Amino acid sequence: MWVSDLKEEAHGRVVEPLLPIEKKLIGWSFGVGIVLLAILVMLNHFVPVKF
Amino acid sequence: MADIAVSSAGQAVSKEGLNEDWLAVVIGVAVFALALFSLGGTDLLGWAVTTLVYTDITAALAPVAKGFGAVGGLGALLATYLALLVVLSAGVAALGADVKKFAAAFTVVFAIAYASWIVGSYAHIAAVTPAEYQKFGISWSLKLTNEGGFVVALASGLVIANFFPRFAEWLKEAIRPELYIKIAIVILGATVAVTAAGRLNLASAILLRGVAAIVEAYLIYWSVVYFVARKWFGFSREWSVPLASGISICGVAAAIATGGAIRARPAVPVLVSSLVVVFAVVEILILPFLAQTFLWQEPLVAGAWIGLAVKTDGAAVAGGGITESLIMAKAAAEGIKYQPGWILATTATVKVFIDIFIGIWAFILGYIWTNHIDRRADTAKASEMWERFPKFILGFVLVFATSLFLAIGTTPGIAKALPSAAGEANVFRVIFFILTFFSIGVLSDFRKLWQDGFGRLAAVYVVSLFGFVIWVGLLISWLFFGGITPPLAS
Repeated sequence: MWVSDLKEEAHGRVVEPLLPIEKKLIGWSFGVGIVLLAILVMLNHFVPVKF
Repeated sequence: MADIAVSSAGQAVSKEGLNEDWLAVVIGVAVFALALFSLGGTDLLGWAVTTLVYTDITAALAPVAKGFGAVGGLGALLATYLALLVVLSAGVAALGADVKKFAAAFTVVFAIAYASWIVGSYAHIAAVTPAEYQKFGISWSLKLTNEGGFVVALASGLVIANFFPRFAEWLKEAIRPELYIKIAIVILGATVAVTAAGRLNLASAILLRGVAAIVEAYLIYWSVVYFVARKWFGFSREWSVPLASGISICGVAAAIATGGAIRARPAVPVLVSSLVVVFAVVEILILPFLAQTFLWQEPLVAGAWIGLAVKTDGAAVAGGGITESLIMAKAAAEGIKYQPGWILATTATVKVFIDIFIGIWAFILGYIWTNHIDRRADTAKASEMWERFPKFILGFVLVFATSLFLAIGTTPGIAKALPSAAGEANVFRVIFFILTFFSIGVLSDFRKLWQDGFGRLAAVYVVSLFGFVIWVGLLISWLFFGGITPPLAS
């Protein structure tokens, strides 16, 4: 593996379509992230910081 | 840039399995342990050098403990340099590095980095309050506090990287920002604990809010950046995974861990890491000043934001240090004096929380890749979670837990003496911060990066960072840390 090969790769677009498993990974990660954040925001609202 | 980063970004591992993480634990815990002797009345680190704000350069340096006044400022500087040279040389020898080259390079690195720190402590750069103006007889100052020296160290490194590349190459053996910052983070555990002990409610609230950072970095940032890299920029999976991890999670460590997990060729995550380092430099040159301008009334939002937005441990925690000094300076000028340590502790907490899950995320990706995408590769094993776990965090937890126990679980006498002991250890934390800033600068040859033709990779970074990561990080920081301010100094 030569660095020059990697540079060419980094320059050019690769035709490698998103697989269903990748779409699932992206979708689930994002979805679970949003839901968890919403839960945390609610917790944060109902259990505020006490000094 | 890439050449330097390629050789330094990867973790050096000795035959005995010692790596930079474990070395950071050993050195960081040793500094902390030596500092603890002062609780029993034996001061073993009082000779370490500290720098004061000055107008007369002869008054700039001093030993940290008054009892070592006879050593003098220059004597303390020399003793500190020699101690670090011996300890770090032994450490890199254990990693299998060339000790002679390291010792020669470290001598120069220490000299330039510490000189930068001294320059940053000049009153016209560092003085903040009207009382300091009066004390030093000056009418103006940049108000950067003496931690403006971090920016000077970074700038010194950038000048060397971009205008003296051969010199930068010669320094390479001692340019170890990851090692330096990991040692600093281990030592930081003591300061964070001492700070937290005073306000346990607030400290535990900050810890709980660190969970939000994990969700944001791993689940939201990662998925969006991966999508952008794959769909909009057409990168292959092999490039997109380390790129998404580098931009979303924790820079160099995450890019290398997840790249290894999906069985990417080793050079791919390392080249991505080069990019991460350069952008981290850009961020720490800009974001702390933005935070000072727009977030000075929300100090912990600023601390969390820096932890979420700046990638690589070194740049993030160091950026937290600058942000704290800038915001405290601005607040002090407005008549508000916050207790020091809270902003930096928030940044470090957010960063440490994110770091903890690198191994687990790498395992999840490795499992998906080796079972569903590239079935030819050897299957990911659960043991990889431990292998990829950033071990220096164990050092941080150990130092934090010990300090917290000493602060709230022992006698009032020990609790009273602990801040002083932690303060002596903190002197070394600051020195390792300075070395980190300088090293990051030396690794950042912007010209070489563009020559190498990584413009498209950089474009993903720019789009993701400035179009998404920074703003979402700000929103989340605001949601979870808004309205929480550090205690006022008594």
